[in-house]
Amino acid sequence: MTVHINKPATGNKAKRILPVGHYRGLGAWTVFFFIFLYLPIVVLIFYSFNANRMVMNWGGFGIDWYIKAFQNDDIQKAVWNSLIVATVATVFATAIATIGALVLARGGNFRGKTVSLGLITLPLMVPEIVTAVAVLIFFSAIGMNWGLGNVIIAHITFCIPFAFMPIRARLEGMDTSLEQAARDLYASEWETFRFVTAPLLMPGIVAGSMLSFVISMDDFIITLMVGGAGSTTLPVYIYSMIRRGLTPEINAVSTVLLFFSVAIVTAYWIVSNKSQTKTVH
Amino acid sequence: MSNWLPRSAAGRRWLGLAPSYFVIGIFMLVPMVIMGVFSFLEPNPYGGVKPIGSLDAYVKLFFEYDLEDNLVFNPGYINIIFRSFQLSLGATLLCLIFGFPVAYFITLQPANRRNFYIYLVTIPFWTNLLIRTFAWIIILGRGGVIETPLLAMGIIEDSLRMMYTDGAIAIGLTYSYLPLMVLPIYASLEKLDFRLLEAASDLYANRFEVMTKVVIPLCKPGIIAGCLLVFIPCLGAFIAPNLLGGGKKLMLGSLVQFQFASARNWPFGAALSMLLLSAVVITLIFYARAAKKRAVLEGSA
Amino acid sequence: MNESIPAITANNVVKHYGGSASPVVALKNISLEIRDNEFFTLLGPSGCGKTTLLRLIAGFEQVTDGKIMLFDDEIANLEPSQRPVNTVFQHYALFPHMTVAQNVAFGLERLKKPRSEIETTVNEVLTLVKMKHLADRSPNQLSGGQQQRVALARALAPSPKVLLLDEPLSALDLKLRQAMREELKQLQRETGITFVFVTHDQEEALSMSDRIAVMSEGEVQQIGRPTDIYEHPVNRFVADFIGDTNFLDGEIMSIDDDLVTCRVGTQSMFEAENSGGHKVGDQVSLFLRPEKITLSPQSETIGTDTRPGKVANIIYLGNQAAYTVDIGGGIELIAQARPREDGNLPFAIGDSLAVGFSARALRVLAQ
Ligand SMILES: Nc1ncnc2c1ncn2[C@@H]1O[C@H](COP(=O)(O)OP(=O)(O)O)[C@@H](O)[C@H]1O
Ligand SMILES: [Mg+2]
Repeated sequence: MTVHINKPATGNKAKRILPVGHYRGLGAWTVFFFIFLYLPIVVLIFYSFNANRMVMNWGGFGIDWYIKAFQNDDIQKAVWNSLIVATVATVFATAIATIGALVLARGGNFRGKTVSLGLITLPLMVPEIVTAVAVLIFFSAIGMNWGLGNVIIAHITFCIPFAFMPIRARLEGMDTSLEQAARDLYASEWETFRFVTAPLLMPGIVAGSMLSFVISMDDFIITLMVGGAGSTTLPVYIYSMIRRGLTPEINAVSTVLLFFSVAIVTAYWIVSNKSQTKTVH
Repeated sequence: MSNWLPRSAAGRRWLGLAPSYFVIGIFMLVPMVIMGVFSFLEPNPYGGVKPIGSLDAYVKLFFEYDLEDNLVFNPGYINIIFRSFQLSLGATLLCLIFGFPVAYFITLQPANRRNFYIYLVTIPFWTNLLIRTFAWIIILGRGGVIETPLLAMGIIEDSLRMMYTDGAIAIGLTYSYLPLMVLPIYASLEKLDFRLLEAASDLYANRFEVMTKVVIPLCKPGIIAGCLLVFIPCLGAFIAPNLLGGGKKLMLGSLVQFQFASARNWPFGAALSMLLLSAVVITLIFYARAAKKRAVLEGSA
Repeated sequence: MNESIPAITANNVVKHYGGSASPVVALKNISLEIRDNEFFTLLGPSGCGKTTLLRLIAGFEQVTDGKIMLFDDEIANLEPSQRPVNTVFQHYALFPHMTVAQNVAFGLERLKKPRSEIETTVNEVLTLVKMKHLADRSPNQLSGGQQQRVALARALAPSPKVLLLDEPLSALDLKLRQAMREELKQLQRETGITFVFVTHDQEEALSMSDRIAVMSEGEVQQIGRPTDIYEHPVNRFVADFIGDTNFLDGEIMSIDDDLVTCRVGTQSMFEAENSGGHKVGDQVSLFLRPEKITLSPQSETIGTDTRPGKVANIIYLGNQAAYTVDIGGGIELIAQARPREDGNLPFAIGDSLAVGFSARALRVLAQ
């Protein structure tokens, strides 16, 4: 029997019929979409290597603005503030989210579960500016003025749901029979948690803490409103630079911050994809 | 270890939830209540409030005092609120038109490639919004990335004056929240059974009808979720209107911030925030209603 | 329709999936004709390409090579929505966001039928499949059997020229499956629509079809009426796939007008019907259906060929029992026997008995 592979079929392939559910132009649309999404980022990076003083006048390639940015004391201070806030907020938010997720995913059905879930995800629902106003008013009403401490508390609050979601997703995707098997094999509750649940949960915790770190590092509006004079973080500093006038120094600082975020999110992506494939096999 | 934990399951539950309740309760719920209270007080011209009850903040939304101290209707703030809704709706619609085909395209890809596309969609979202919006100044601005080549080629003779317009804000908002539209739509499309599309086309539905009668109705929850996720932050947006609208074309979010940063009218800022919050709550209630109705209709309840 | 024009003609149809570099060959070279008004079944093991052929007819896939025609019309350039063919999907594919009635009306609406006609037709078809009382339910409030009826009604409503059914009964439990067989067959007779029915269940195929195409690995092995397929399989695959069978591998020793004599094993000789085309010395398989074998107490002789045997194993099936009988020379045959009136089986393991069959019941197949 002969099989013709390359012979065009009986001359009626002139009009190729797309499979059901496929549409012409989707691919082109998607390309356009990604250009739109990445154009600003590319432009930003490109102009950070501008040797000219004016952002938009291309004066040749140079890394002068990076050097300038690194030598800027205010930027260094802002970076430190950002790192301190993000680190502390991440540690607390992740810890709080982890035990919250354990209760909500492993505590069975109980009264107040939906309300608890709603409360934990509340910071996602409320517009940032409202959160900012509320927290600002609250601190002023109780007369609390801890500088960076105020900012850290606000960050812990809105980072909780971001840490919570991947941890809960991981817990719910986990096979509870593993924990039952451990209990069946004479492990105490603590041993079950220590040797079964916690190691399996680790990718979720890592993912959650990475997300809350990035979210905290990137936050602008809440920090702007809550933070006082001494608690300028990097995004707030960038904002003040933009208001003072556009120089490629902004691009340089921004590019560094950008790569930092992308690196963390990529790491998060790899961790979560890996843990997914592990669960599948 | 476990001996200091409460014995009862309920005790442990509440112990585990206590930190979340404490932090979000004290630093989010209570502040929102206080914010509500502040909106009914009188402003202190140096910032903060005076402990005197007053409806002025809400009156100020509609009226102002003229030179003779008479209340006269002032459409200024209403216009800003109206514009905020308009721009947010516009941006939501743009996100939908722009994002839906992309979410659909990703669903059609082989499983191993889909994850990578989703990664590409999420990356900009996790990078700093302020920075990305700033980049649009370089693109849209006078002598920017778009204008310069057009000027050089003689296609245009003068600046297009794209910055500081509603269009610039709409682009900025669309750009800011586009991933939030694509992700939920993708999540619901991914669950779509493609055999239903074949069934529809087998029953004489053309490609357009396959889309409108089967795909769109079935991924409506994703579309609605996406629209909410875009619309809500757009309403309170601060960065895009401030950087791309130049502070002249105000939206609710920038108006609120202005009350605290410069105008020093905290009660009015609180009242505006309450307004924003109610808009969000009402939207969410509608959403919950619709979702419940659908669940009943489709018999999955 | 003109009786002489086939409803569906497939000429040398080839279908590959995936790139041309390393394609999955789903259909190798299929040619068949499906007559108008007949109940035609595609039968074969899972993965043999039945669904693929159905999807090519419906238009969901494009042929790699060859031609498919519908009443002598080339359909390669038609979208699925342009083909007067409807499908009952394997897992029904009912629209979950529509009621039963809306599902059934879907095709008619797309065909822009007037509202009144749609209502009448929907009612008629739902009555036909006994689902009228559930017209306003949502599909996910229905049982599997009910969903199956809705799927059927939905595909029948636009009165297609050909109805394609992809294993429509496979998700139902046994009792329901058997009841639905009769209903489907009756429905086909009443509507006169050509049915192309896909199944891997030979019983289903034998009990419902006018004609059957037995497929294996992307090729048609045999096309014929159920009795042809069962009694005169053309090759060992068909014989093996349809029903239970004894195969005796051996060599042809002599041939006369009616009979072929074969040696099986070292010494046992068997006579079989001469179906022609064989010559002395050929290595062949003799095939013998279990129900053609009679088991009787040793004293009696039945049939033309009777041999002594010994019961080696019994599988009790309720209405009958399958006996494995050792007839010596290293040969074991599967035979059937009914329980006696009192419910006991006629023979026990180790019993000696007489195994009888006619030479007409043995057929010669190439190995
Ligand atoms: N979309 C596809 N892509 C690649 N291979 C496929 C596809 N669909 C079917 N196949 C392959 O084609 C062969 C025939 O499949 P199918 O027609 O579904 O068989 P059946 O319905 O008889 O079980 C199988 O080997 C199957 O793996
Ligand atoms: Mg199949």
